[in-house]
Amino acid sequence: MLELSPDNLRVPKLSRPVYAIGGGLTDFRKFYPEKQSTELCMEAAKMAVTEDLGMGVKEFKQLVNFSVYSQFADHFGDQLLAAAKIHDYLGFDPLGNIEVKTGGATGGSSVLAGIMAVASGYASLVPVIGWERMDEVDTKQGNSYIASAACKDFESELGWLYATYYALMMQRYLYEYSPNRETLAKIAQKNHHYAKFSPYSQLPGDLTLEQIMESKIVSDPLTFPECCAMSVGAACIILADEETAFKLTDKPVKVVGVGSGSHTLRTADRRNMPVLLLPNEDQGLYKDRENEWPGFTSFLAARMAAYLSYNMAGIKDPVEDLDILETHDAFTVSDIQTYEDIGLRPYGQGQEFVESGEAYLEGKLPTNLSGGLLGTMHSVGATGIYQLVEVMWQLKGEWDKFHGDEKYWQKYGKRKPVDFKSLQVDNPRRGMAISHAGTGSHVTSIIFERGW
Amino acid sequence: MERQKVDISKFKKVELIKKLFREDVPEGVIVRPNPKDYNHYHSYGGLSPFFEGLTKGKLLGTECQNCRNTGLWLPPRVDCPDCWEKTEWRDVDTKDAKVYTYSVTNYPGAGFKATVPCPLISLEIPGVCTKFMSYLSEFGEGEPYIGMPVKPKFRIRKPTYTILDISWVPTS
Repeated sequence: MLELSPDNLRVPKLSRPVYAIGGGLTDFRKFYPEKQSTELCMEAAKMAVTEDLGMGVKEFKQLVNFSVYSQFADHFGDQLLAAAKIHDYLGFDPLGNIEVKTGGATGGSSVLAGIMAVASGYASLVPVIGWERMDEVDTKQGNSYIASAACKDFESELGWLYATYYALMMQRYLYEYSPNRETLAKIAQKNHHYAKFSPYSQLPGDLTLEQIMESKIVSDPLTFPECCAMSVGAACIILADEETAFKLTDKPVKVVGVGSGSHTLRTADRRNMPVLLLPNEDQGLYKDRENEWPGFTSFLAARMAAYLSYNMAGIKDPVEDLDILETHDAFTVSDIQTYEDIGLRPYGQGQEFVESGEAYLEGKLPTNLSGGLLGTMHSVGATGIYQLVEVMWQLKGEWDKFHGDEKYWQKYGKRKPVDFKSLQVDNPRRGMAISHAGTGSHVTSIIFERGW
Repeated sequence: MERQKVDISKFKKVELIKKLFREDVPEGVIVRPNPKDYNHYHSYGGLSPFFEGLTKGKLLGTECQNCRNTGLWLPPRVDCPDCWEKTEWRDVDTKDAKVYTYSVTNYPGAGFKATVPCPLISLEIPGVCTKFMSYLSEFGEGEPYIGMPVKPKFRIRKPTYTILDISWVPTS
């Protein structure tokens, strides 16, 4: 039994306000030999500065005092201290920088580190830049590299494949809660569909539920379209203190909630505890619950991150109080688990979030309009940053600018779909992104709010 | 003056990569092979008795004398995560081991040493506080299933000295 003290659950505070003011992305591809990681990071940073902030590079660089780099796997990139190369390539020397690593949550953790740098007063303008180079090995070796982020003594040898560790959870989730199998496939269908409207996306497409469920099974019962992309690409988000933010933009997005949580790297080692309740859950909700918690069906790290960020942001009910959400949909099952961990529905009822229509563009809390990890990208170090860039663009009302403009489709050699539609949410005020590692080893939850 | 030479001529002619992931390398971009061929060495340190145990047909877990009620740790831990005291080795009683969850792996990553399909399982073992991950080395139609009684099988001859040295088979 794991016990948490009030101090363990202390709600974070920022010493001064922090804003996200600009973002940039590259497109995401399975194979990107045309550009080195340095070039991709340059492209994302340049877009954030010149196209989103709309300012000159030299003028911007005069204001920077620290930067954060986000890369998951040195062995993929085959370059230790790659951050130093990128920092130099961007001409930021001799400014200080750090590189952050927390697996799949590296992007979220990097933004968290950037927020800490600004909130503490250490820095006033901080670019956070993430990337992943996943095309220097074939897919089989790539899966093996990813699975070296499982326990090398007790897990990695049992498959060298993360999908199989998630499939264990999925099978248990199906057993405990008997959701419609189709609902899981609907998550993949939704995100591949929304990816169609993103010039950045790697795996766009309209798939039928049958196509998804009857695709080849990677690891029973997860099929190929239910597993995320392996991508190459970069993302950049720029964080600033209040004075700098309002100097550089009229529409800064304020950081109102941050939370991070963790759980054992080995899924096997998760001990049970009473459910940690979120602000929208009352004591009686799980009174008669017999299922183990968190067991194999929930992510304690996600619940912990949500608990801290909701309490910090004053979120009482996430479905009501948030207008846009990006989850770490690495697998369909982990997405439904996350809905419950972040309190969109009580445990065991996550499927209702999809079935009710709330997760869609027209719904109460549109989720992964970016196309997510299933449809658009999982260039690991970039992922958590990309999610927050998409949330920020939505809050600033800039979704159309960065997705609808023909020039971005042309830039990546793509044709804008004839049935293109705007996925800009109507006047959103608050949005959240969940960044997630391992089988839930690290999770961050970051909540942005319109700051003007 | 006679000068020494530095020579790289023993390297074989390099064949550039023209296709990867079923896509052509674009014109004007050089992609060269970057082979890796070297050994790593890995010590099991204080966990060595566990892997030694497998080669002798024994499944060992650890117990913290200080926090006794937690149950056995399997995978074992040399130090207790709760109180940071040293743990002690114990035999794991697998009599009532059952499948807690499973998946059948079809497309494993590189380096996987078993044949596919390979049923991956997590085990529920009374007295153990964790859900040990392993695989089923014999299975029939409809197997594995959640709740399936299983017993361990050890690779005593030619051990791999990895976690693959223990697998599970149906009890009946």
